[in-house]
Amino acid sequence: MHPDNQPPQLVEHFFRHEYGRLVSRLAGRFGTSRLTQVEDCVQSALAAALATWTKSGVPDNPAGWLHRVARNALIDQIRRESRSNRSMTETACDLPEGGESPPLAANSGSGAESVSFVPDGVHLPHEIIDPELRMLFVCCDPQLPERTQLIFALKILCGFSVKEISLRLLSNEEAVGKRLRRGRTQLRDVAPELDSPDVDQLRRRLPAVHRVLYLLFNEGYSSAIPDQPIRKEMCTEAIRLAQFLIRHPALHDPQSWALLALMHFHHARLDGRVDGAGALLLLEEQDRSRWDREQIRIAYQCLGRSASGEIFSRYHAEAGVLAEHCFAPSYDATRWSEIVDLYLMLEKTTGSPLHTLNRAIAIAEWKGPAEGLAVLRALSPPSWLLGYYLWDATLGELHRRAGETDKARQYLKRALEAAPTDSEKQRIRRRLECAAAPSQPNQSRGPGG
Amino acid sequence: MKKYMLLYRRPEESYSYQPSPEEMEDMFKAWGVWKEKFKKNILDMGDGLNPGGRVLGEKDSITDGPFVEAKEVLGGFSIVEAESYDQAVEVARECPVRNMPGSSVEIREMSGFG
Repeated sequence: MHPDNQPPQLVEHFFRHEYGRLVSRLAGRFGTSRLTQVEDCVQSALAAALATWTKSGVPDNPAGWLHRVARNALIDQIRRESRSNRSMTETACDLPEGGESPPLAANSGSGAESVSFVPDGVHLPHEIIDPELRMLFVCCDPQLPERTQLIFALKILCGFSVKEISLRLLSNEEAVGKRLRRGRTQLRDVAPELDSPDVDQLRRRLPAVHRVLYLLFNEGYSSAIPDQPIRKEMCTEAIRLAQFLIRHPALHDPQSWALLALMHFHHARLDGRVDGAGALLLLEEQDRSRWDREQIRIAYQCLGRSASGEIFSRYHAEAGVLAEHCFAPSYDATRWSEIVDLYLMLEKTTGSPLHTLNRAIAIAEWKGPAEGLAVLRALSPPSWLLGYYLWDATLGELHRRAGETDKARQYLKRALEAAPTDSEKQRIRRRLECAAAPSQPNQSRGPGG
Repeated sequence: MKKYMLLYRRPEESYSYQPSPEEMEDMFKAWGVWKEKFKKNILDMGDGLNPGGRVLGEKDSITDGPFVEAKEVLGGFSIVEAESYDQAVEVARECPVRNMPGSSVEIREMSGFG
């Protein structure tokens, strides 16, 4: 311990990230069926650290200290359990000692560690699965609803509390708590199969993991949480978890790289997306010099590594669109034709009309508003889309550019009413201001200018 | 320079609150800042006091304590050194214990016995 000079410093979010690491490691060692118990022990180890390190300083190996304390607490609990199990069974029936005892019961007489672990099995070094990576797959169980998988990842791997999760998902503590409880019950029944997973088992679950990580990133990026640092933190957490996927060579998948690419591209623009007052800016309004060059560089690297295999996934397409935007020195210099193709691919892969909407905007930038409007007229919008503010906002903007001011104002006003946040409302109001009143000359925006 | 004891009080219910890892980190940072800023004054960071306990009163009476005044219980203490009582108050003013809602810090000059 260093009492005074140069005490070891803790990295940012050490407590929260160590929570995730430790829970993953101990649940991996003692079994996922003990997940809740493991979480309690890690929580109390962190509380002990807070008290002890405040007084005596951070130890040389803080992670090791935490691991020791949490593990000892867990073993204590398990031993106490099996002692009381044994005294119960001794009176209930004659259980031969050391014989057919339940898997995690103490073996009597053996002075040494009498708690048995989940067997590691025989693993070749390149097969050893990182505990955190494994836990990510446990959380992303396709048998759980997607939102529950997301909540588990936030709770166990990111170390957020129920209150913090409900704030980040714009939910309430009761709802989040309920999902966790239900999920835990389900996991207790199915998780043991992942206690010693092989790579093929994990690979089968990869699509689910991709979806949850994408969801997590999106919650940060697109959410209505007013606090920009919290949104940004969600995005960084998504990236951090996605990076687990590339830790294991046998699990390398082009889609994991594409997912990372798109996350880094978005992340590069996070600071440029908001103005000084924290309001969201349109793409063409953003100061590109504020885009993070380092993040873009990493994104391109990931994009390069995603260019393998035969599948061109939705993540590839999205990363491609973002690459085009980040590549262009200015909004006007964007290669809209490329973006149109990519959105077409996204439409085909996901079937989502939101991509059609984006394609319409891209075509309008490329060939003019009439072409964009034609794309939208060709679409049979589902009813939910008709109530979606971006549908009206897009139609409003394209009509404005086409010089149809009355229609523009009509759609933009509808969009204004439906817009979910103040930021979005402000954006639409600015568009409305551009759509001059009927008696005044309009300022339509032609292609490329 | 005289010695002063800072007595921390907290609502009894606050003991059952489990801070999140992020909140614990914030607390850790806050204590580190206070410790560093007043390192010339802090003699002993002290300790926390666990909840529950008993109080021995007059004669042989013993009650389930601790004394609860205004629903606050003693939660811990620290010992500081300062040029004056006012300076001791300045040290106490920035103590992170005060971030807890319903908490208070009592500053008492130590007598110097022994």
